[in-house]
Amino acid sequence: MSGLKRVGLTIDGLKVQAAEGTSILKAAEQAGVVIPHFCYHPALEIEGNCRMCVVEIEGLPKLEPSCSALVREGLVVRTSTERVREARKDVLAFLLAEHPLDCPICDKAGECRLQDYYDRHGLTASRMVEPRERREKKLAIGRGLILDRERCVLCTRCVRFLRQMPGTGELGVFERGLRSEVGIFEDAPVDNGYSGNLVDICPVGAITAEDFRFKTRAWFLARKPSVCPHCGRGCAVTVESVSGYPLAKGERRVYRITARENPAVNGFWICDLGRDGRRDIDEGRHARLMKAGVPVAGLSWQTALADVAAAIRTVPGPERSAGIAVVLNGRLTCEELALAKRLFVAGLGLSKVYFADRKPGSADGLLLTAERLPNGRGVLEAGFAPRLPALDEIAAADVLLVFGPYLSEHLAEEALAKAWAGIPSKFLFSAHEGPLDRLADIVFPVAVPAEKSGTYINVDGTRQTFAQAVKPAAGVAAESAILAGLANLLALDAGGGDAR
Amino acid sequence: MSYAPSPAALEKIEGTIALYPEKPAALLPVLHIIQGESGFISAAAEAWAAAKLGLRPVRVREVLSFYTMFRRAPAGRTTLQVCRNLSCALAGADDILGLIREKLGIGPGETTSDGAVTLVTAECLGHCDHAPCLQVDGVDHGPVTRETVAALIEELKAHV
Amino acid sequence: MSENGVRLLPLDDDSWRLEAYLRRGGYEAARKALTSMAPKDVVAEVCQAVIRGRGGAGFPAGMKWSFVPQGGAGPRYLCVNADEGEPGTFKDRLVLRRAPHALLEGMVITAFAVGIRTAFIYVRGEYALVSGRLEEAVAEARSAGYLGPRVLGTDFGLDVIVHHGAGAYICGEETALLESLEGRRGQPRVKPPFPASVGLFRSPTVINNVETLAAIPQILAHGAGWFLGRGVAKDGGTRLFGVSGAVRRPGIYELAVGTPLRQVIEVHAGGPPEGRSIKAVVPGGLSAPVLKADEIDVPMDFDSLARSGSMLGSAGIIVIPDGTPMLDVLHVTARFYAHESCGKCTPCRIGTSWILKAVRRLRRSGGSPADLDLILRLAEGIRGRTLCPFGDGAAMPIRAIVTKFRDELERAVAR
Ligand SMILES: Cc1cc2nc3c(=O)[nH]c(=O)nc-3n(C[C@H](O)[C@H](O)[C@H](O)COP(=O)(O)O)c2cc1C
Ligand code: SF4
Ligand code: SF4
Ligand code: FES
Repeated sequence: MSGLKRVGLTIDGLKVQAAEGTSILKAAEQAGVVIPHFCYHPALEIEGNCRMCVVEIEGLPKLEPSCSALVREGLVVRTSTERVREARKDVLAFLLAEHPLDCPICDKAGECRLQDYYDRHGLTASRMVEPRERREKKLAIGRGLILDRERCVLCTRCVRFLRQMPGTGELGVFERGLRSEVGIFEDAPVDNGYSGNLVDICPVGAITAEDFRFKTRAWFLARKPSVCPHCGRGCAVTVESVSGYPLAKGERRVYRITARENPAVNGFWICDLGRDGRRDIDEGRHARLMKAGVPVAGLSWQTALADVAAAIRTVPGPERSAGIAVVLNGRLTCEELALAKRLFVAGLGLSKVYFADRKPGSADGLLLTAERLPNGRGVLEAGFAPRLPALDEIAAADVLLVFGPYLSEHLAEEALAKAWAGIPSKFLFSAHEGPLDRLADIVFPVAVPAEKSGTYINVDGTRQTFAQAVKPAAGVAAESAILAGLANLLALDAGGGDAR
Repeated sequence: MSYAPSPAALEKIEGTIALYPEKPAALLPVLHIIQGESGFISAAAEAWAAAKLGLRPVRVREVLSFYTMFRRAPAGRTTLQVCRNLSCALAGADDILGLIREKLGIGPGETTSDGAVTLVTAECLGHCDHAPCLQVDGVDHGPVTRETVAALIEELKAHV
Repeated sequence: MSENGVRLLPLDDDSWRLEAYLRRGGYEAARKALTSMAPKDVVAEVCQAVIRGRGGAGFPAGMKWSFVPQGGAGPRYLCVNADEGEPGTFKDRLVLRRAPHALLEGMVITAFAVGIRTAFIYVRGEYALVSGRLEEAVAEARSAGYLGPRVLGTDFGLDVIVHHGAGAYICGEETALLESLEGRRGQPRVKPPFPASVGLFRSPTVINNVETLAAIPQILAHGAGWFLGRGVAKDGGTRLFGVSGAVRRPGIYELAVGTPLRQVIEVHAGGPPEGRSIKAVVPGGLSAPVLKADEIDVPMDFDSLARSGSMLGSAGIIVIPDGTPMLDVLHVTARFYAHESCGKCTPCRIGTSWILKAVRRLRRSGGSPADLDLILRLAEGIRGRTLCPFGDGAAMPIRAIVTKFRDELERAVAR
């Protein structure tokens, strides 16, 4: 719809241009004027039910909802006149009259629109003296989601989302009038791969996730942007963590992963797999260097890396190509892949450079892709021709460097163990525990994507650079540091020329 | 629990669906037919209607619970709908309703223990020139008096 | 009453039959339109007659039809609003029972004028039995060639489907009606888009009230000038005034638009029964703000009633006699709107129920005059702030009762 005419209007004294057919709310937002709202969501059909977004339009007797009123040439719109503020206050007062005001025990506190607007409009206690309706406060609606009907403001964002986005439509509104309530049919719960978005889009604390309920308070969380590494889409995410925590076993550091808007990639949503990726950051992680499957007291990174360099050095230059095998993966960033290329292919002249990643799943037609690695395109762009190694290709090596735990997804554990047994030196660089741990001479604990900065290229070729969202634990290093360190050790050793 | 309409109802349902350019539009008429035959619409019937119209059951529940004439539980053999909006109220609807409550021993929304009568109130039945009025299984009565209502109730109680 | 010999409502009880309707010249107006006029001329004629919507909003029918985009491949629809839920309104019932063919003929003309081939009649669920005659009339008309693929032997065709609601006042609101007809909860849609461009099944749609459509044949039969002349300058024709409450002869009276309210009540409906007097009058269905006894010398047309601070609405007149506690009237009114709010938008969903709570408190002992102010404040929170006109329809009459009868209400509360 790029060919649309543009019209000029005035919003709070600002001259604004917007495409014909744009709502006043959107046009205002584009001009930096934020109009409070509950039910409007840029990706969902307009419902106009909350009436929070009303504005004054010169020449019209009534206030108009800005989410559904469209821009017109010459309109003069005011978004915070006395009348508008009164109307908003009335809407808030109505909502609060039917609200439990249990913010002290509500997970949404701190990021709840109702609470936020209530504070901003300086509302005082309810003028209603009658008791409000009592409603179900802890209804399990599926996928670990809990619905609190007393907190619900009936914006129907959840209902519309499920109908429009995953298209599963498990939620509906039952009854009418003040008795209206959101619900599922009998025992047909919310069950789709995008359920977690309901928590993000509910403007109040009516839908919460069991995984997050009562675990912390929103305002304790540090929010950092990152890119989801769980499939080829590379959705924009926010990693929400409690900063300053040491990573001890079982301790929760990342409380949740939420969707971050990126129109070019994921719109407003992420899938549940990506959301559940918070476990990938905190659970089953390696935190210390291990030898033969057990942590070794006093082993330092320098010594351990020196062991790798030493092993590489034992293979004479002409034999390296056949004698050293490396297994990389598509979770490495473009920068890391470039380093790897320089070190292993250009520097050491290796030909046995393989890739092992998570097994592909099935694409769901929405965001989730069949490939379950974030940087498949980056691998190609770095000039690799990714290929899984056959068992005997590994078994023939004198030195084996494996990045990531994924080999064991493709090759039977016993066969792997047998093959590895014959390799004189084998090193594993992995963020997560896995069957390979006991097979490697040394296991190096490496960072997960959220702990790194770098670039991924998604399935559509969109290049996304991200910064570190959470700090890795003390004993954990990013592959970039490892690759650079190795290059350093080898280059020094080879006098800067031999290795090449 | 499962549900299936009688062959006659099924035929009616299918004929009704064929009238509409889009299947879901037949939801209200289909629910009327189901309720007309079964007296109420069970969860199984909701699911059946949903499948018939290519809808999710939750869509049927949304609709069913919105309209006052649909029932999710069995009602009495006769449904007595008493109007109590302004024209009828001015003509003594409250008094009539009081009398009915007393005679039947139940309040609005309830069914007599013998399953004879379900009592509900209505907001304007559009029979205001016959106030106070009521509907007996959809048939209009009015203007009613204490006497005619008392007689009506005796009749309904006797009706098995 | 039948001054010019033309009435919408036939008198005898058998008039609903096709045969009787034809005897009165039935379907001749449709024949004239279909065989001797271009659709746009029909629209122009109806525009000139200034027939304003009898459903309550009073929008000129011809103008509404002219908003429907012409051309384009998709279907267009006609929806007849026979939801008649406005308390105190029972006129459409009479048309459905006594003059169903007048409605059908009006539909044929309308459909022809707008280029429509499918029409739905949305009848409120409570009228299931009332609409029996309508359904018979549709069948009769179809087999006699007044409906169906070749109406009156022309290549114009019209299918009519009778659809029943299931108990929801809000389905009388035109966009809620469309939602309901599509098999959803009867909740109003946001506008824009308007039904004339995006209506039933996402297609251009005309929605008109039963009485509006039933009067259309008169315009074609006698001309716009004649029709307009029967009403007032900006509001043509006759209307079916329904009178209920404290009058001797409650019923429907077909009278010229602009007939004084007092005359409708006192002359036609016989005035209050022996020994009673008028305390107040609801002039146009429950949503119309109440008039006090000294305010009823007002012509019954849309603009005059708007000027008097009320509205003509559905022209359902409810006469409230002396001795009626206005607190009871307030209660019935508040209860109705709380019960019928569809629940979609915040101010109406919560506001109507909280008004009812406050009124209930007034009726119990715990209330105080301050609650009257609370009710007014709640009503102000609804008025002009809702998604559909139901909100105003609830807030305005409640405000009128409280402000016009404040003294009485305060005395009642103090007791
Ligand atoms: C709450 C509400 C209830 C309404 N109920 C009815 C009704 O029962 N019948 C009707 O014809 N119009 C009703 N209307 C008016 C319709 O929205 C619409 O204006 C009308 O059907 C248009 O037809 P007309 O122009 O011929 O009057 C209602 C409007 C509102 C807001
Ligand atoms: S649960 Fe949340 S998103 Fe859903 S309707 Fe209620 S407030 Fe809106
Ligand atoms: S004003 Fe009332 S009836 Fe209309 S949309 Fe809002 S809640 Fe529904
Ligand atoms: S955002 Fe406009 S009405 Fe809710």
